Amino acid sequence: MMKGPSGPATTVASAAPVLRIGAVSKFFGTFKVLEDCTLDVAEGEIVTLLGPSGCGKTTLLRCIAGFWEANGGTIEIDGQHMFRVPVNRRPVGVVFQSYALFPHLTVARNVGYALRMRGLPRAEAKARVAEALDTVSLTGFEDRYPAQLSGGQQQRVAIARILVMEPRVLLLDEPFNALDAKLRGTMQVELRLLIKRLGLTSIFVTHDQEEALTMSDRIAVMRAGCIEQVAAPDEIFDRPATAYVADFIGTSNFWSARAEGGLVRLPDGQTASTVLKGEVRVMVRPHNLRLDAAGQGPWQGRVAFHRSVGPLVEYHVEIEGGMTLRVATMRQSANRPIRDDASVSIAVVDPALCAVYPG
Amino acid sequence: MAKASFPKLAARPGVGERLIDALLSGRGIWPAVPAIVVLTVVAVIPFIVLLSLGFSDFVVSRGEIVSQTFSLDHLSNALSDSLYWTTFQRSLTLALSTTALCLIFGYPVAYLFLVGGRWTKRLILVLTIAPLLTSGIVRTYAWLVILGGRGVVNSTLAGMGLIDQPMRIMNTHWAVLIGMVQIHLPVMILPLIAVMSRHDGRLVEASENLGATRLGTLRTVILPLSVPGIGTGAALVFTLSYTTFVVPQILGGGNYLNAATMIYEQVVYSLEWSKGSVSSLILMLTCLVMLVAIALVTNHFTRWTRGSDA
Ligand SMILES: Nc1ncnc2c1ncn2[C@@H]1O[C@H](COP(=O)(O)OP(=O)(O)OP(=O)(O)O)[C@@H](O)[C@H]1O
Ligand SMILES: [Mg+2]
Repeated sequence: MMKGPSGPATTVASAAPVLRIGAVSKFFGTFKVLEDCTLDVAEGEIVTLLGPSGCGKTTLLRCIAGFWEANGGTIEIDGQHMFRVPVNRRPVGVVFQSYALFPHLTVARNVGYALRMRGLPRAEAKARVAEALDTVSLTGFEDRYPAQLSGGQQQRVAIARILVMEPRVLLLDEPFNALDAKLRGTMQVELRLLIKRLGLTSIFVTHDQEEALTMSDRIAVMRAGCIEQVAAPDEIFDRPATAYVADFIGTSNFWSARAEGGLVRLPDGQTASTVLKGEVRVMVRPHNLRLDAAGQGPWQGRVAFHRSVGPLVEYHVEIEGGMTLRVATMRQSANRPIRDDASVSIAVVDPALCAVYPG
Repeated sequence: MAKASFPKLAARPGVGERLIDALLSGRGIWPAVPAIVVLTVVAVIPFIVLLSLGFSDFVVSRGEIVSQTFSLDHLSNALSDSLYWTTFQRSLTLALSTTALCLIFGYPVAYLFLVGGRWTKRLILVLTIAPLLTSGIVRTYAWLVILGGRGVVNSTLAGMGLIDQPMRIMNTHWAVLIGMVQIHLPVMILPLIAVMSRHDGRLVEASENLGATRLGTLRTVILPLSVPGIGTGAALVFTLSYTTFVVPQILGGGNYLNAATMIYEQVVYSLEWSKGSVSSLILMLTCLVMLVAIALVTNHFTRWTRGSDA
């Protein structure tokens, strides 16, 4: 279990975590889907499970919600063990990827479902439904059926339906998948602000790293059933704990080197410090590399391709050994982008931001 | 250049192809024409002939109708005959109780199909479909072996010392009802299963997640969503059992009179074709009325499905 040093953004209130997942494992037959997953979520915190398809994100969520029972480990909410607690007694609300709205009930009845099941008096239920619909800006849609709503509206109904039940833990499984890219962007910010305003403790699942960076207080990067690193978005991006995390989040350049006496020599002559010894892999982000005129340093390359990505110019630089480095620089009107095919020398901007992993 | 090569890419379709294309476009009733022709020849025309016999006095000579005059006598005779009323009432009661019992026994099976695992689902499908692979007549005769005086039921009960005399089950109302339910149960279960597997298990999970008990989920989610299946199953079972001939004939031992067996006797034994014709018409119209009633009730409970085209 790796945890980066906790910066200001990762500081977790000293109070006991709302949700504790302790060494949870889950098998399907002999196939291990989750292995010793450990994660604490503090009051009001949004933690994102991020990982490639099939790494077990949905499985972990379903174990928390109680649709599946974990084969090992513990799940606690507010200090209460959830083992053998049936789904309908867990203080957990799930927003399904497909929304799972009841097609035969109107929006108002969908949203009021949890209250009706709890036998709340009609008048009170009605007021709370109205309040929830107002929260997701769907006032006036009470009498529509789900089939009469757009994808984004359906999703907001799904969220309102969970909000009225006031869950201790909110679980969202890729809630933006069915939305188009633009709507997704606005909904991400809206949903984050809403969850923060209501102070809901949440676990959010996605395989989209940008979404994870937008939504989360902390990100848990998963790989084949294991949690590789849990840290704040900046932390994950700047100091990925493993090569896998570095590779998964953002763009990264890797090369092999040797570490001796706590130092790794970089190809441009500078050194980075490390605790490792022997064969290592060094990772540097594209924006931590700089291109200079040819002959200014020992690290030589040739620009194979460049493109402008908004405010950045991204270069693909071929270096010795057939490798291609990605280099990103701010676009400046003063100096025009370096032409393709030009020879350049490459330098690391800040060696301290190079990450060194076992080779 | 590009212009010249264009027609080659989109070759003009031949006449046959265009005709087929027009047929498949779904405009008009053209795709249904073959079925309509066949049905007209083998069903509609004979039916009209049959009807004409019920509404006329006719003289048959050497197997041919030589004179025919319009008359409502047969209809009024039928409507004033108490035998008709009791027979149709019996048919209706039998069909309604068969439908109700099939629903009562079939729904739990369909529920099990919804909540069960992969193997449960397969088992249910196999057990539901397997009986349909043998003829209804064969299955009905099997009941003779089970319900007869020295059949399985009686010999078991006698063996356990519960009865001295064999019970008379065969040739009673009960034998007919048991046979009817068994024969028609798959017809009820299949539409129920079809409608239940249309909605994914997520709705049940969502309901439980929102705090519903199993019973609450059944009442507020599963049951309302399966209404279309209940409607289809009820319509099928009602139609089949209201007009059925084989089961009452065999298990009723020839003295159980329902609409179909009555028509059979009128036409085959007493050669009263006009009576048979009028009975058929009454059978068909009453069946239609019941079907409309079932459709109306089903529609009332599935208003939400029409929401999507509003
Ligand atoms: N019911 C099941 N039986 C057997 N294996 C399953 C079952 N459900 C999921 N798995 C397996 O468990 C693994 C994790 O699945 P899971 O649905 O948790 O992935 P995920 O991380 O949510 O992926 P995605 O991003 O595609 O949704 C996958 O390899 C999948 O094949
Ligand atoms: Mg998933």
